[in-house]
Amino acid sequence: MNVARALEGVGIALDSIRSNKVRAGLTILGVAIGVMVVIAMASAITGVNRSITAMLESAGPKTFFVQRFFQGGLNISDGSDELSPWRKNPWITVEDAELVHQLPLVQDVSVSEGTEGPVSYEDISLKGVLIAGFGPSWVLVTGGEIVSGRTFTSAEYAAGAHVAVVNDKLAESLFPRGVDPVGKRIRVFGQPFTIVGVHVEAASLFGGGDQVRMAMPHTTFVKVADYRKGWMDFSVLPVASATSLEAQEEVISALRAKRGLKPMQENNFAVLSQDKILDSFNNITAGFFAVMVALSGVGLMVGGVGVVAIMMISVTERTREIGVRKALGATKREIMFQFLVEAATLTVVGGTIGLALGALIAVAIRSNTTIPASVPLWSVVVSLAASVVTGVLFGLYPAFRAARLDPVEALRFE
Amino acid sequence: MSEPIIRIRDLTRHYEMGTETVQALRGVSLDIGRNEYLAIMGPSGSGKSTMMNMIGCLDTPTGGEYWLNGQEVSQLSDDQLARVRNKEIGFVFQTFNLLPRATSLHNVELPLVYAGVSSRERRSRASAALGRVGLGNRMDHRPNELSGGQRQRVAIARALVNEPSILLADEPTGNLDSTTSEEIMQVFAELHRQGQTIIMVTHEADIAAHADRTVVLRDGKVETDRATHGVAA
Ligand SMILES: Nc1ncnc2c1ncn2[C@@H]1O[C@H](COP(=O)(O)OP(=O)(O)OP(=O)(O)O)[C@@H](O)[C@H]1O
Ligand SMILES: [Mg+2]
Repeated sequence: MNVARALEGVGIALDSIRSNKVRAGLTILGVAIGVMVVIAMASAITGVNRSITAMLESAGPKTFFVQRFFQGGLNISDGSDELSPWRKNPWITVEDAELVHQLPLVQDVSVSEGTEGPVSYEDISLKGVLIAGFGPSWVLVTGGEIVSGRTFTSAEYAAGAHVAVVNDKLAESLFPRGVDPVGKRIRVFGQPFTIVGVHVEAASLFGGGDQVRMAMPHTTFVKVADYRKGWMDFSVLPVASATSLEAQEEVISALRAKRGLKPMQENNFAVLSQDKILDSFNNITAGFFAVMVALSGVGLMVGGVGVVAIMMISVTERTREIGVRKALGATKREIMFQFLVEAATLTVVGGTIGLALGALIAVAIRSNTTIPASVPLWSVVVSLAASVVTGVLFGLYPAFRAARLDPVEALRFE
Repeated sequence: MSEPIIRIRDLTRHYEMGTETVQALRGVSLDIGRNEYLAIMGPSGSGKSTMMNMIGCLDTPTGGEYWLNGQEVSQLSDDQLARVRNKEIGFVFQTFNLLPRATSLHNVELPLVYAGVSSRERRSRASAALGRVGLGNRMDHRPNELSGGQRQRVAIARALVNEPSILLADEPTGNLDSTTSEEIMQVFAELHRQGQTIIMVTHEADIAAHADRTVVLRDGKVETDRATHGVAA
């Protein structure tokens, strides 16, 4: 029987939306924007989360990273020493990487350094290609796959050979469709290189989507590239018999010994486990959530004020109807329930529209960036629940006014 | 008279209007029996509607007693009054008071909704009630698609659908022409013949003439209370 009354309330609410388009529109818009923000941001966060997880998974769960300094979260530096403590840290060097490679618990090390630079093929030249120098096992670390040809060999790495692996985007920019890039000769920083393979990245937050990029042996990179020095880092793959933590400890003590740090001194380098990366990502996520809650809160407030306005009008316009319902046996609680259902219907209509808009934004993010955004179920549940709660909360006062009406007075109302 | 369904003793109702007190009812005593057909008459402002609101449990008295079916109404809570209105009272208003957006059937179902009747049973009982007032073929019409007389019949069906002890009608023909009024009186007569207790307020002597008994109020008191022989055919 409550279902019958709820359905009646929904029907009346839809009617009153139709007859009060502007007021209802404002209410619906407020809630819709609130919900849209929640859905869109939740989808983006889910997408980013997924790509970070994918990136870390492609690197193998035990792989960790050694860097000069770790910026946990988003730091904006003006270049002063105080805000840039990393300046005190010495550069990470190839020697560091080689030392680590010798350690018993370390199976593999892959150095990495990058910059932007010019690449040309015949009369096509591109500026701002992302050019990276890697160790031979870089594909294991960065993820993705070689779809044509091969990556460079350890021998080519040792020799500093002029060989390059381009990504699919760079191949498309340089060569007409149907031409195999493998074996083609290009110029990088003006120097001749031979393409040995084509690489496709794993979906990744840092992959940058439409970015044109190429990889070469790090040994070659340091010879030919024009780059800002001091930002090399390397990744470490522990041996199968060791845990990531054991290997990290070994690497830390080896580097501390090499750098002559005393027991009291802090590390002047950073060892980043995947847990730590995820932690800092979670900090960023928390920031996003705060913004999300604030924005959607404003939308829901606007919607809530609209609910109060439209429901007060609805109660006044239908005073006589309330009198009739009371005469026919409706209790205060039943009148209250009817108007709360009506208020909640308004906000749920807004919430549903917001849900649809948010989902559209998620689709737009997915197709225009590399972030695999998708609407998580919890955000749908939370948004609809928030819509209902907004309607009920802001509908309470008008519903209370309706329930409290004296039946005789209400029946005499003109 | 059989055992009274309504027993009213020294009933008063005062309205505070600023510093002034309006005495709408100043001590009314009345017994109304089961299956009676009573007309209440009297000049404007004599307290007829106030009396009907008391009997219909829409309002509570300032003083005196009102026993409905052996129950003292002034002791009841708001929720209990709502239950009594739902189960014991059927209202017919001068201005019909149908929900404008709802069909006849839906309007008639409304008291059953508040009685907690299942939707299937609501439908069958509401359509039966519409059948009783001769509107079996107008169930899906909305009020603005019906004539005044038809609207009042929908309202009567709505008043009857819960099988109330009393049908209360405050000037049921006040908004109708004389032919339509006569039709509505025929419906009332038929209901009365079937055993329905009816209390009706009217200004018109020829409408009151349909009842068995007429009570005339003046200045919030019973002026006359006499049997009339129902002229209903
Ligand atoms: N809510 C109220 N506040 C103040 N006075 C009221 C109220 N309701 C009724 N009255 C007064 O009580 C008296 C009786 O009113 P009531 O409506 O019962 O008269 P009535 O007999 O139905 O008149 P009518 O034939 O015009 O409908 C009138 O003097 C009226 O002004
Ligand atoms: Mg009156």
